[in-house]
Amino acid sequence: MNAVHCHQIEKSFGTGETQVKVLRGVDFTAERGEMTFLVGPSGCGKTTLISIIAGLLGSDSGKVSLFGESLAELSARDQILFRRRHLGFVFQQYNLLPSLTAAENAAVPLLAAGMNRKAAVKKASDLLGVLGVGHRADAAPRLLSGGQQQRVALARALVHEPRLIICDEPTAALDHKSGESVMELLSSSAVHPDRAVVVVTHDNRVFHFAHRIAHMDDGIITHTETNTASTPSH
Amino acid sequence: MIALALKMLRHDGAKFLTMVLAVALAAFLTQNQASFLVAFLGMTGSQIRDVREANLWVMEPDTECFDQAKPLKETAVQTVRGFPGVEWALPFLKVDTTARTESGKLSTITLIGVPEQSRIGEPAMKLGDASGIYQRDSAVIDPGGMALLYPGRKFQPGMKIRVHDEWLELRGVSEASPPFTGFPIVHVSQATAMRLNREETRSTTFVVGRLSAGADAAEVTERIRKATGWKALTRKEFEATSWKFYSDQGVPNLFYITITVGLIVGIAFTGQTFLMFVKENARAFTTLKVLGFTHPQLAAMMAAQSCLVVVLGLSIGTAMVVATTELAKTLPFFRGLYLPWEVTAVCCGIIGVVTVLAAGLSFRQVLQLQPADVFRS
Repeated sequence: MNAVHCHQIEKSFGTGETQVKVLRGVDFTAERGEMTFLVGPSGCGKTTLISIIAGLLGSDSGKVSLFGESLAELSARDQILFRRRHLGFVFQQYNLLPSLTAAENAAVPLLAAGMNRKAAVKKASDLLGVLGVGHRADAAPRLLSGGQQQRVALARALVHEPRLIICDEPTAALDHKSGESVMELLSSSAVHPDRAVVVVTHDNRVFHFAHRIAHMDDGIITHTETNTASTPSH
Repeated sequence: MIALALKMLRHDGAKFLTMVLAVALAAFLTQNQASFLVAFLGMTGSQIRDVREANLWVMEPDTECFDQAKPLKETAVQTVRGFPGVEWALPFLKVDTTARTESGKLSTITLIGVPEQSRIGEPAMKLGDASGIYQRDSAVIDPGGMALLYPGRKFQPGMKIRVHDEWLELRGVSEASPPFTGFPIVHVSQATAMRLNREETRSTTFVVGRLSAGADAAEVTERIRKATGWKALTRKEFEATSWKFYSDQGVPNLFYITITVGLIVGIAFTGQTFLMFVKENARAFTTLKVLGFTHPQLAAMMAAQSCLVVVLGLSIGTAMVVATTELAKTLPFFRGLYLPWEVTAVCCGIIGVVTVLAAGLSFRQVLQLQPADVFRS
């Protein structure tokens, strides 16, 4: 069973003459234990596709299933609960809450699930230690470098042990060295036999981390290549 | 989750402070003005309450309040005494006249005559002895009167006031309840009051009395009304009539305006600032949505945020009201001020509920946030 399976996904925005068809029948899969890159020029539909995969946006037609479960068949509340339990996110701009410490930010998915605050922050702090920013657990995001912030965001994506991690341009706001470092961390800590990682990126300097690369253009996946020389993750 | 919400709120210090101060301002203005209004209108019944022994007041039908009374004929006391259910009845004489001190300071005063035999209506004393009332050419004055006629001076035996052409020696300072009019309350013996009553030929402003134990107040007062055509009221009814009379004069309107302005300003500021807080934190709320926070969870977070603002604002505002009321009470004319718990409960209740509802309107913004927008940089 694929971790992510998209079949003939179509999506348009607007109506009438202003309607824009962003996805034109996308077929996409991501496997467990692999890091799958989704690459392509700006406006080709990458972000729309991952929004649909994550259940943040509905498709006009086609079918999306995550680990065999069709999100469209779940109620709105169950979609949220599914996302909370099984998905982790890494954003381009980190999206850390400025009022919280690094550890509290990393603990947010656990707090959403109702875990006791102290236990959640402890678990998040431990994970920050594994990711090399344990010494900044009590720092506010504004006091962290871009690389450190992205590590905190990575901890937030991993802390509840999701089965799918979706990363949107995780290195776009970082210099090459920091980007490389974050991708190494992502590769070593996120890729897991029972977990899939989908990364949207423009940054061809980090393509060597991918197990598979799906090229997208004008609303369709043009071709998928397997990267046999991908950086080992385990 | 709640701790997270409160941290988000406290992080935006300027908005947090603005909201708390807006609620505090609303709480202060509404409670301050409402308590002043209640206290001032309560003062319309001060001299009625001060005759503690009486629970029946009989007066001319045109009389609408204690301060504007048309006297009854002299036989009225005997008439009232004749009704079944009336334990006792006495004439009560109140004279509005002018007094001046040795230094020439002038003021309108309310002169109250206390019957020598029964001493009904005798005031409690702050300084001196009430028995001084019954000495020849003597009087006791209330603290407001002292402040008005002898500004900056403390009571000393031998101080005098002149009413018409007679000098009355002040024998003490009473604890007469503050009157609505603000005029000095001067207690004298009934004989002295009758002698100084030059404005009226009649010397029975009211008949005060007491209902017999077990008598039906409504029945007795109705019987007096029907038989005499006079107005017969229980103490509470007379207090309420005086309260209504002054309320109808437009006195409270200024208070109502300030209370309304306080409510509007406080709630508008808080609501608007909360809306700005939500808009500026839209990215954070969107992220929380994407990370699995449900709408009820987000609503609970915002409720916690607004409750913190409300609790802090109301506490500060109420503390300010208590402080200003206690400070004002040290002034003789404001000695009747107090903050009724009902005023605090109603004002805080209204402000609290409306502020939380205003925050609830901001929650609509959160509902409208699109999770997919989280990927927009």
